[in-house]
Amino acid sequence: MTTREPVMDPMRPAGSDVVPEPPAVEIRDLGIRYDLRLTKRTTLKGSLGGMLRRSHGSENHFWALRHLSFTLAQGESLAVIGPNGAGKSTLLLALAGILEPTEGEILSHGRVSTLLTLGAGFETELTGRDNIDLAGAFLGIEQGQMDEITPSIIEFADIGKFIDAPVKTYSAGMRARLGFSIATAVTPDILLLDEVLGTGDQTFRARSQARVRELVGKAKAIVLVTHDLSFVSEFCNRAILLERGGIIQEGEPGTIVDLYRQRVAERKLLAEEDAQRFAVVPEAVRTSR
Amino acid sequence: MSVPTTEAIASPRPRANRRPGRVALVRTGIGEIVGRRRLTRYLVGAELKRTHADTAFGQIWWVLDPLLQMIVYAFVVTVIFARKTPDYPLFVFAPILAWKWFSATLNEAALSITGRQGLIRQIQFPKLVLPTSAVLAGTVSFAFGLIALGIVYLFFLPRLSLWVLTIPLIASVQFVFTLALGILFAAMNAFFRDIQNVLRHLLRLWFYLSPALYALDTIAKDHPSLYTLFSLNPMAVLLDSYRAVTWGMTNPNWGGLAILLVISAFLVLVAIYLFKRAEPAFARIL
Repeated sequence: MTTREPVMDPMRPAGSDVVPEPPAVEIRDLGIRYDLRLTKRTTLKGSLGGMLRRSHGSENHFWALRHLSFTLAQGESLAVIGPNGAGKSTLLLALAGILEPTEGEILSHGRVSTLLTLGAGFETELTGRDNIDLAGAFLGIEQGQMDEITPSIIEFADIGKFIDAPVKTYSAGMRARLGFSIATAVTPDILLLDEVLGTGDQTFRARSQARVRELVGKAKAIVLVTHDLSFVSEFCNRAILLERGGIIQEGEPGTIVDLYRQRVAERKLLAEEDAQRFAVVPEAVRTSR
Repeated sequence: MSVPTTEAIASPRPRANRRPGRVALVRTGIGEIVGRRRLTRYLVGAELKRTHADTAFGQIWWVLDPLLQMIVYAFVVTVIFARKTPDYPLFVFAPILAWKWFSATLNEAALSITGRQGLIRQIQFPKLVLPTSAVLAGTVSFAFGLIALGIVYLFFLPRLSLWVLTIPLIASVQFVFTLALGILFAAMNAFFRDIQNVLRHLLRLWFYLSPALYALDTIAKDHPSLYTLFSLNPMAVLLDSYRAVTWGMTNPNWGGLAILLVISAFLVLVAIYLFKRAEPAFARIL
């Protein structure tokens, strides 16, 4: 149902006077570097120490993504798969505009969605309704449109009269539902999905999946990051295998998923061999006595 | 549902690592603060609702807090140190209220970026609104404190003069000064969390070096050599002016206030520039 036809028809005869649509997203030689000296919870002491040991500069940096280039055409839906630490989340953060490129550039055409994990940013002293207003202001949605979509946000979150109670009185499920409802209230042109297709209890999970499918249907382009390979074939018509910050292979979802499975299997085999080697060691120690 | 038109929209949207010039960066920063007024308003509202939200007296604390603080200082200074300043409660009230605004606001502003790391890693929005809202929220609580000043005047009516009407002018200068420091400390604390601890102690020292509990003239009499140094303190200019108009029934330090306003305005531009330079790093280091 969600197989997406490319808008640009490659079979179109050359010289046709139809102006091709610009790509939804264009990434050119993207690089994102983290400075390890300044990451999480640095204190003056730690970072002064780091500066003193500055001599070997490259050890202080970590390229989460490097030399990454690809184009996402209008109508395409792209799956990004890869092992943990491959740079998938960093790529999403960069696409959402939260991380700025250290190198290269990202050109996006249209409104990019937020990451669907709102709810961590709730002001717990405020009511659910106030938090909807606040989130709308953070997302830059105009007042007029907020007035329009607020009733549907409240309805979809399904938290009854708690909407006028402070968020600190909510259960975890209620918070998640409200967060999801806000994050998915606006239809983006470019939808970023971070495998959050299940939130809350069984009933809500079914409804949230339906909502995501609706967004998928309306969006002009999609980027999906996931470990769940079954989603890839369901939602996407192109895939990228990412490893250690670079593209390993790009192509048909089926081919890429097979390649990923194969590499995972190889790695597992290597790990098992390693484990066996280590398992032998105590034996050897014992016999040598 | 139609495709929304939003402040965030800009297409095509190039995001590259080219560095804009200083003036452009400052102009962007000011544009963000002005353009995101609604977000700032909600943030200030959230901040105000959060303070005293769990207390039985609720909003009454806005007025009660400065009154109790004044009573404590008045007791310590007049009873324990046996200082004989006439109408001492009124003498300390406005300076202490203004100082509390200054120090509480700076502490809040310093935490404004680090306290919202969850949001910063989820939504792209101009981070300048965070320290700005912290400073504005502090200003609202200062305004509430002025109600308490009215109550204090019920006991010292002979000292009430028309000069009291200049309080908003003095407060405006203080606002600009506080905003500059608030933006700077917010950015610095994102990189070094030590700032928030250092700041607390620095502010306490600064309080005792500023003429809140004593008059600047006392320094002139007791330590003439230190007087020039003490009067260079921006907070001395401000606190002394508040005291002049609320207790001394005379004009504020116009010259000092004018110089401070010019310096502070320049400092705000520098702070916005430095903040904008640091902003792209926030999502990467938090």
